[in-house]
Amino acid sequence: MASRAAGQSPSRLRGPSGRIWPLWGRRLRPWLVPLLLVALLEAHARTLGRGSDALAAPSAALWAGWQLLRSGELLAATAFTLGSAAAGLALGAGCGAVAGLALGLMPRLSRASFLSIEMFRPLPSVALVPLAMLVFGFGLRMEMSVVAFATFWPMLVLAQAAVRQVEPGLIEVARALGLTPAARLTQIVLPASVPRLFVALRLCVAIALVVAVTVEIAANPHGVGYAMSLAQQSLDPASMLAWLAWIGVVGVAVNGAMLALQRRVERRMGGAA
Amino acid sequence: MLLEFDQVAIHLGGREILSPTSFGVRAGEFVCVIGPSGCGKTTLLRAASGFMPPTHGQVRRHGRPVQQPSREVAFVFQDYGRALLPWRTVASNVSLALEAARVPPAERPARIDRVLATVGLTAHAGKFPAQLSGGMQQRVQIARCLAQEPELLMMDEPFGALDAMTREGLQDELARLQREQGLTVMFVTHDLEEALYLGDRVIALRAHPAPGRPSLAAMVEVPLPRPRDQLATKESPEFLRLRRELYRFLGHD
Repeated sequence: MASRAAGQSPSRLRGPSGRIWPLWGRRLRPWLVPLLLVALLEAHARTLGRGSDALAAPSAALWAGWQLLRSGELLAATAFTLGSAAAGLALGAGCGAVAGLALGLMPRLSRASFLSIEMFRPLPSVALVPLAMLVFGFGLRMEMSVVAFATFWPMLVLAQAAVRQVEPGLIEVARALGLTPAARLTQIVLPASVPRLFVALRLCVAIALVVAVTVEIAANPHGVGYAMSLAQQSLDPASMLAWLAWIGVVGVAVNGAMLALQRRVERRMGGAA
Repeated sequence: MLLEFDQVAIHLGGREILSPTSFGVRAGEFVCVIGPSGCGKTTLLRAASGFMPPTHGQVRRHGRPVQQPSREVAFVFQDYGRALLPWRTVASNVSLALEAARVPPAERPARIDRVLATVGLTAHAGKFPAQLSGGMQQRVQIARCLAQEPELLMMDEPFGALDAMTREGLQDELARLQREQGLTVMFVTHDLEEALYLGDRVIALRAHPAPGRPSLAAMVEVPLPRPRDQLATKESPEFLRLRRELYRFLGHD
């Protein structure tokens, strides 16, 4: 009996530490490869790559990051980048959503505007930087406008599709119940589009971050992108890597926040989202 | 006559699906429309509800042509999964009918409670449709239709997607509701026994009408006493006779 029970659960065969190891092991396993890479980089920077202008030891980058945090630079630059990305997103995705919903509801208007949309949409948003710089100069408004342009088009296209894909059965229910056009929009079409609009929003959030950092690296002397390229130009790989890692952390955090928000909305909407 | 079909014909894709058909539905009557798939029974019901105009002829309610859906006519869709708002709770789904009818918010809770009690869903008022079984979801849809307080209930194969046990339970419940509330029901099904068990009258349609073979294959009064019983009624000689008679009409002749 005892041998059969042991055979059924091989994890118990790991001896006295078997009850602790799987628990810790499961938590640690995803971190194993990244930690190993960091350790390798650290070893490389302290031996072969000593004095390199391109790479710094992770410990040095960590220290540089700590200095940036203490000086307030880190948070100020992050606030600028996130702020302009959020403002641009609100403007671009907001207008895109409204325009997309309108086009989705009015097929005739959608057909009429198809050509103009397809002419502007493929324009790479970063190509707008020179124009935006001429119009707005350096600063928040310039970055915001490029982010807004970049997020407007995907939201427009996806919002339009979201409205088109509303379950036709629900539209019939609205007709059968005699809902007014306004109620049909607010009670049926909009809530039914929420899941797809959320996917579009998450896509636009990612685009907004990428474009904001790109604009800062390319032109705008503010934010984390500029700070990172400045560190690069001053041959300070430790700070540069610190900024790079920080941008990664911010990206992960923003994505995590969006996922959490999505789950909350899903729960409130009965698992519909 | 509450509802009149006057030479109603339906063409789809250039083909005649339903040849000109005339009949009437009296107030308080339970009329079942039966036929094989493709005979135009659902389309007929949709035309009678104002979702689409018939190709020829006219459907009149109280003598006036039906041109668009009305709140006086409630429609129970076959696919309950697509007819309920998944983001609204059971009570809130029922409330939609009241909101559409501009019932003052203060009156809504009491009316919602009443219809939910009628269909036995009081305990599930706060649940979302996805948390309910198919039979219960269809009850929610029926509750929403009852909340409209319609004079006419249109049902398009409402129990077609349910298992036999659930279906029989809901049939008895529907028969009770119709009796208690004096509803007029037009019920489309492809199940002969269901039509006979529920209907005061059964209208049998045939597919592929042709000259000399009109869509309206038969119209049969069902004089079985009410309340009916799943076993006793379905075993009665009269039920079996009607079943045999209709069976021949439905393309098995």
